[in-house]
Amino acid sequence: MINKLKQLVIYLFLLIWLVITGYPLVFLVQNSFKIRMEFFRNPVWSLPESFTLQNYIDVMESGFYIYFINSIIVCFISVAIIIIVSALASYAISRIDFKFNKLVYILFLAGMMIPIHSTLIPIYKITLSMGLYDKLSALIGPYVAFSLPISVFILTGFINDIPYELEEAAIIDGASRFRIFKDIILPLVKPAIATVAIYNLTLLWNQFAYALVLTSSPSKRILTLGLFEFQGQHGINIPLTLTALFLSVLPLIILYVFLQEHIIKGMTAGALKG
Amino acid sequence: MKNVSILSLALLMVFSLVFAGTVMAQDEVTLTLWDIRTAADQATPAVKDAIKRFEADNPNVNIEHVPTQNDNYKTKLRTAMSADNAPDLFMTWGSASLERYVDAGKVYSLQPHMTEDWRNNFMPAAMDLGIVDSEVYGVPVTNVSPALVWYREDLFEKHGLEVPATYEELVNVVNVFKENGITPFALANKNKWPGSMYFMYLVDRIGGPDALQKAISREGAFNDQPFIEAGRRIQELVKMGAFPRGVNGLDENASQSRTLLYTDRAAMYLMGSWAYSGFKNEAPDMVDQFNFFNFPEIKSGEGDPSNLVGTPGDNYYSVSTKAENKEAAVEFLHYLTDSKMGEELIAIGNIPPFRGVGEKIEDPIMKKIYNTSQKANHIQLWYDQTLPLELAQVHLNTTQALFGLEMTPEEAANKMEAAAKKYYGE
Amino acid sequence: MNKKELMNNKYFIAALFLLPAVLFSLVYLIIPIPLSAYYSFFKWDGIGAMKFLGLENWAELLNDPIFWSSMANNFKLVAISLVVQIPIALFLAVLLTRKIKGADFFKTIYFVPMLLSSIAVAFLWRYMYDPTFGLINGVLNLVGLEQLTRSWLGNPDIAFYSVAAPIQWRFIPLYMIIFMAGISNIPEQLYEAAEIDGASNLQSFFFVTLPMLRSTVVNASVLIIVGSLKYFAMIFALTGGGPNHASELMATYLYSKSFTEMNMGYGSTISVALFLVALIVSVVFLRFSKKDVRN
Repeated sequence: MINKLKQLVIYLFLLIWLVITGYPLVFLVQNSFKIRMEFFRNPVWSLPESFTLQNYIDVMESGFYIYFINSIIVCFISVAIIIIVSALASYAISRIDFKFNKLVYILFLAGMMIPIHSTLIPIYKITLSMGLYDKLSALIGPYVAFSLPISVFILTGFINDIPYELEEAAIIDGASRFRIFKDIILPLVKPAIATVAIYNLTLLWNQFAYALVLTSSPSKRILTLGLFEFQGQHGINIPLTLTALFLSVLPLIILYVFLQEHIIKGMTAGALKG
Repeated sequence: MKNVSILSLALLMVFSLVFAGTVMAQDEVTLTLWDIRTAADQATPAVKDAIKRFEADNPNVNIEHVPTQNDNYKTKLRTAMSADNAPDLFMTWGSASLERYVDAGKVYSLQPHMTEDWRNNFMPAAMDLGIVDSEVYGVPVTNVSPALVWYREDLFEKHGLEVPATYEELVNVVNVFKENGITPFALANKNKWPGSMYFMYLVDRIGGPDALQKAISREGAFNDQPFIEAGRRIQELVKMGAFPRGVNGLDENASQSRTLLYTDRAAMYLMGSWAYSGFKNEAPDMVDQFNFFNFPEIKSGEGDPSNLVGTPGDNYYSVSTKAENKEAAVEFLHYLTDSKMGEELIAIGNIPPFRGVGEKIEDPIMKKIYNTSQKANHIQLWYDQTLPLELAQVHLNTTQALFGLEMTPEEAANKMEAAAKKYYGE
Repeated sequence: MNKKELMNNKYFIAALFLLPAVLFSLVYLIIPIPLSAYYSFFKWDGIGAMKFLGLENWAELLNDPIFWSSMANNFKLVAISLVVQIPIALFLAVLLTRKIKGADFFKTIYFVPMLLSSIAVAFLWRYMYDPTFGLINGVLNLVGLEQLTRSWLGNPDIAFYSVAAPIQWRFIPLYMIIFMAGISNIPEQLYEAAEIDGASNLQSFFFVTLPMLRSTVVNASVLIIVGSLKYFAMIFALTGGGPNHASELMATYLYSKSFTEMNMGYGSTISVALFLVALIVSVVFLRFSKKDVRN
């Protein structure tokens, strides 16, 4: 009986939190079906009267899918590079005693403190001088660099927790460092890599300051910049913007559902015994 | 080790794929144009059409149009200018916003191209803001937009109110609406510039256009009586409940002001003439109920009630000194300012800053806006575009604080004057 | 040294492992900081000529009440975020790692705030807080608590807390995920042993889960501290730091100085100060919890 009651309380809490976190999606969807006039006349919380699909059509016709593909290219390449680069660095910091481990670690930590907006002009100039201005690849450098410190931080912490004994046998067998890294460490840090991937992907997907200044032509535009397309000097088409926002978050949610499966698998695979 | 080299090879391939640039044919010229004409901007179709017409007549020239939303545009342009990588054609708001780039040598002078014909095409007041050191650097393109007091005719009628001609009558209107549970003015002042409109009009009505001119030329000061009195009246209106609750937390860009008008919760709205096209888009079925009047006179003050605050041209288009093909760029500016462009702007609901557009306007409200602008004794450009950026921000911040009752009128005026003293190096 | 010896040299190997990360950091992270420090000695609008000021910007910064109040806001945000995000995220993580029907579904939806862009989140909360049409005041009116209705974003006394709320809401899911990963790595035997000893759920949380999660919690705290000290997005979108700088943070202040007022010299001064403050705070924090970070 007490257990039943406890279950009930738990589910009640879970449901309340579900509403608190899930409502934004409902909000986006319900207002995406409204026409502009209706949005202004009725409270934003009300259900749409018109159920127009015009907003979806307008968004799709605005070059949205080009921006979408650009975002996917940039974010996925960046995240892939981040994972490889930060895993390599974290392994060195955590496992190879080269005397400056602590210093290097602190330097990476310091990288986390750099405010993005103070780097806009320097990075703009660097990008120009490398001839990358207005190319999608211009974004990859700053994306990777800004995600590195946190990724190194998470991964180093994780590798530190892996018992050293697992590698000892391999070292005695004369395996190279790269082999140990690839065959022993990488499989063990999968859950941490999944965390790093998700964390960086969500941040980069919504990043926008670098794309604003480092790219120019509409064919190089990414999604977050495209969202401003429906905002003018003195007004904004709100239902259209909300539709675009909903469409831009949808793939991320779908991806997350799949990735989540993967994380859970990764977690059990990497679970430490002892 | 082998794996690592394969990995780096793969990385290299990905990089070279992404890094590969586009190759362009030799004789083709591409001009890059940066402005704020996003899909949601009302003047966008007219500008796009001008591009199309220009490209049709100049088949070897392509215009790459890069629209960016207003606030983002400023950051984007400033960053590019900072690294000396300006686009061929770009847009400013004239006056101080243009001057800064001219002073830094980033803007190409249009003076050699200013034939009498072209120059006579523009309303002189609009042209003025594109001139720096008596040379033309930017041409006005989009809109003559004064700030006007928009109001709901039906709500005025319902409560037996007349359009107020004086500040005292305005106070009465405010009181009547307040008693009937209607917010007198819709205002969203998170953005700071909407509230600034009240301040600018009050200063003008109290001290006349001279008050600001003298403060800028340093014959006067920003804590002279008109500025303090304007602050006092704003706070008087705030205390009477003339504005929505929490006005400094409402966002004009998210239309939190106009929503109050559309739902009968507010009756008046001091806003630029662009508000009219907002009404048309957002509330097409009640657009007949909207009309406007000039900001009321203050009897004891010096300002003429025909004086307006606003912009005579809104957006100014310029050619950068970095442009390789300046001839083509200047030629394009002609397309942006020709009579076809004028007609299209009128069709959209703008009043182009070109001469002789009066007869072409048919919409009665637009005609009224046009006539009001023509009759104005003086049009004061927005303070935040007249003043150098350093002072503009202080003006916006102190005015917002006045609305929040967080500063006394004296404190706000003194703060502004202190900033001016610092800026002018006194 | 032949190739084999080289591959056995740990300095060389460490350098190889670190090389890619160092390259990226050097170009994009390390160069901007000395540049900002350099700009902080000049009067510069970012476009025109630079005028050397010496320490004038720094003297102004030390006497700038807005800078100090924005820094105070940053520290308030750190405190709020630590106190709100970690316990709630821990609680959710514990609930969701138990065998609960529909846990996968809950996990997915719970992560939504993290997936949405700040622009979307700011939109939603703007309408939540609208004094006339907003959901919050609407609900308060409905249940007869009219006296509690506020102008949430317009009142300088509470604006900061009003924008701090959505920041908590947005980042709880991140720490929830991190804690969930941590909890699933705790060996099952520990719980079984605790159960045999007759420990209640609450006891096994305090005596098994919490100690085992210590280093995860420390790491999460560092992320929260750093994140809160350089936070920007939602405050910029919701209040722009206003009204009258009431919700100003160091990063929003730095942005409006550098890009809105085009005072790049002073903006750079703020950014160097922000960098130093964040660095000092995190190093101090890590020192206090040192043994958990490196074993």
